[in-house]
Amino acid sequence: MKKLELIKIVITVLLCSLLVVPIILSNHSWPTHARNYLLANAQSDTGATNTVSAIYLGYRAMDTLGETLVLLVSVTGTMAILVKLGKEQTDEETTSFSLTPEKRPTNRLRTHLLETVASKLGPIVLLFGFYVMLYGHISPGGGFQGGVIVASAIVFLALGTEVKSKLTSTFVLSRIESLSFLLLILASISGVFFESGFFGNPIKSASSLSANFIILLNIIIGLKVGTSIAVMCIAMMGGSHDH
Amino acid sequence: MNILLLSLILALGVYALLAKDLLHSVIALSAISMLSALLFTILRAPDVAITEAAVGAGVSTVIFVWAIRHTQRRDKEEP
Repeated sequence: MKKLELIKIVITVLLCSLLVVPIILSNHSWPTHARNYLLANAQSDTGATNTVSAIYLGYRAMDTLGETLVLLVSVTGTMAILVKLGKEQTDEETTSFSLTPEKRPTNRLRTHLLETVASKLGPIVLLFGFYVMLYGHISPGGGFQGGVIVASAIVFLALGTEVKSKLTSTFVLSRIESLSFLLLILASISGVFFESGFFGNPIKSASSLSANFIILLNIIIGLKVGTSIAVMCIAMMGGSHDH
Repeated sequence: MNILLLSLILALGVYALLAKDLLHSVIALSAISMLSALLFTILRAPDVAITEAAVGAGVSTVIFVWAIRHTQRRDKEEP
């Protein structure tokens, strides 16, 4: 039995090295054409100092729309499964996280440490998430990263506070998600009316204001990502019935 | 430094595969995410580092822990 496992491990390592070793050993030089073009033109084309933002919201904004659709579909599927799960076992799990310790059936996972730390840390993380989202065109970060940080802040707040607030109710969060997806579609169409095509920047590329479109898209994508992941996590922890 | 980080990541990955307690595996995966975020920062890709830290160490850990809580934490004892 032990010998068989050892043989399996050896075969796996050999197969992996067969894939990886040619990449390590090759001395083919890195492609430089696209890099040089982006270094020279990215800031003047899109107005964003951060070249990564310039690529995924300027040159390749269509791919970002596809990514947002992928996230939408996956969250929809997860919620469909979770809602069915919640109907089968309503009383056991739905109440366990957001109640006071006396009313909770199981309070192994929720301690005073969690309540104190999560409720104090939540607003700070929320602020940082919005900072990463809003300054994505200058500093590292952007809509997706900021959105995920906002989502973890909302999960912190949902875990740490006993009072139900608008921010942690799935009803409000899912409405924000739908609204921001609608806004994303509208913003992508808006370029058509200013002669720059689908997902084109409606502000002319020479002016100093042209980064504003990237800021707008960053905010919309950040809200979309943040609220959808937060809805998923809160629904998993059993708060989907509180609207 | 890169070699050290990469070998730590490899060791943690092997540990995550072999651990009998699934919660230990999840913590090892979260540590892998933190170490690779550090590696991306050293290799000057801060955008990827932020994503890796937020998604890998934050959200996916929460989802994994939730899944473990609803299923089984340990391996069954082999007869």
